[in-house]
Amino acid sequence: MVGLSEGEKHFIRGGITQDLRTDGRKRLQFRALSVQTGVIPQANGSARVRLGATEIIASVKAELGKPSILHPDKGKVSIFVDCSPTAEPMFEGRGSEELSAELSVSLQRCLLGGKSGAGAAIDLSSLIVVEGKVCWDLYIDGLVVSSDGNLLDALAAAIKVALSDTGIPKVNVSVNAASDEEPEVDVSDEEFLQFDTSSVPVIITLTKVGRHYIVDANSEEESQMSSAVSVSVNRHGQICGLTKRGGAGLDPSVIFDMISVAKHVSQQFISLLDSEIAAAEAEEAEC
Amino acid sequence: MSALAGTGTYSPAAAAGGKRRERKEELRRHLVEDADWPRADGRSFHDCRPAFMQTGPTTAASGSAYAEFGKTKVIVSVFGPRESKKAMMYSDVGADNKEYSSMLHKAFEGAVMLHTFPKTTVDVFALVLESGGSDLPIIISCASLALADAGIMMYDLVTSVSVSCFGKNIIIDPTSDEEAWQDGSLVVAFMPARKEITQLTLNGEWSDGRITNAVELCMDACSKLGDIMRDRLKDTATLTSE
Repeated sequence: MVGLSEGEKHFIRGGITQDLRTDGRKRLQFRALSVQTGVIPQANGSARVRLGATEIIASVKAELGKPSILHPDKGKVSIFVDCSPTAEPMFEGRGSEELSAELSVSLQRCLLGGKSGAGAAIDLSSLIVVEGKVCWDLYIDGLVVSSDGNLLDALAAAIKVALSDTGIPKVNVSVNAASDEEPEVDVSDEEFLQFDTSSVPVIITLTKVGRHYIVDANSEEESQMSSAVSVSVNRHGQICGLTKRGGAGLDPSVIFDMISVAKHVSQQFISLLDSEIAAAEAEEAEC
Repeated sequence: MSALAGTGTYSPAAAAGGKRRERKEELRRHLVEDADWPRADGRSFHDCRPAFMQTGPTTAASGSAYAEFGKTKVIVSVFGPRESKKAMMYSDVGADNKEYSSMLHKAFEGAVMLHTFPKTTVDVFALVLESGGSDLPIIISCASLALADAGIMMYDLVTSVSVSCFGKNIIIDPTSDEEAWQDGSLVVAFMPARKEITQLTLNGEWSDGRITNAVELCMDACSKLGDIMRDRLKDTATLTSE
């Protein structure tokens, strides 16, 4: 929780009105982004993303499982978020439950696409090994290590980086068993298949303070928000998910304007993230 | 009378699942390709199901409402305001569904005049008797009627409508069959008199032009639903005064 005096609140709001925020940024400017890949050796893919003082670790684990009866031609993806007490003492014990659940739901909505699979970040049919029998289950976990606002955007960015770092082992299926038997699978530990992460969207949260909206709000600025809209946008400028936070109602025209601003900002953020991913991968390869 | 009882079998045909799948895929194909195909229940794309709403089904609560939209049947009861035990402002516990509870909370956060009952809590309990699609928007609309029935001060009634997207088509108030095959969905919670959106969620893949269309469609339907709800409240008020 942020405790601010009246003067400080006034200073933050005034700065946003004049397009010069307390840390010197403009309204639509992100904090410094730093990206590191391969931070958890046991996982199939992992990443650490820092956005200002917000720090996220994301990991992707792949396990062989059975596809659901309703979708025999699709794999499964689940997303969980946990907030560590190292970020804020109030996250200790069950204190982070509500926030974690809210973040998980928002990420699932933004990354998993519609029921038919339109707009999904990961093509679920690419996770199938033997139709109706064996598929990959992806477990995506996000851990909030340090929290200074804009958790959702940072989590989505960390997941995008972790997915681009992910290698799924190549699986050889022996095709001799009868169709109703369990197929024998041989998981290779040398050959890995890379993910196509070009369709993974980024999430841009626009926080409305007074009459203006800002991107990448820190926790002090978030405490002054009236409402926030998180928009997930992919490389083609299609909107893949949207969530509204904060109590105040919004005029429809404001929401449409926020969507178009988010769309504009997202393309810059995607290219920034792409170049950071390439740099991080080059660095990891050197080590 | 039941001489033939022994000969009947009760196991479903092996292909039943496959046929059901085929039928659904056909339904989906129609919805994606055709301009305005009558839907399984005879509606056209921009027709909502007939709405039946009533206040006061449960007597113990301070306010309650029942809503029936096609097959979806919901009861919401409101208790309170009562003294807050914990330092929470407003709580609602949905039947085992945390996601819906938090969405319901968010839809009302901006509509209930919280400052009119400081240090007290209002409990909203929603029970889905039958789930036939568009459950969350119906819960939201029904909860707002129940809150009004309980005399909780609100800036405006909150009404909610969802749309499903199939290819290039948008269909309003989807049933659960349609929801199972949708490409994307959008839920709007709206205050008709103030013309403010209190909650908006979306998934699937949308272009921003289509979002504008869908939101405007939802807002229009929300305003009309708001009129129906206002009439229900007026009916109740005249009945009690007589």
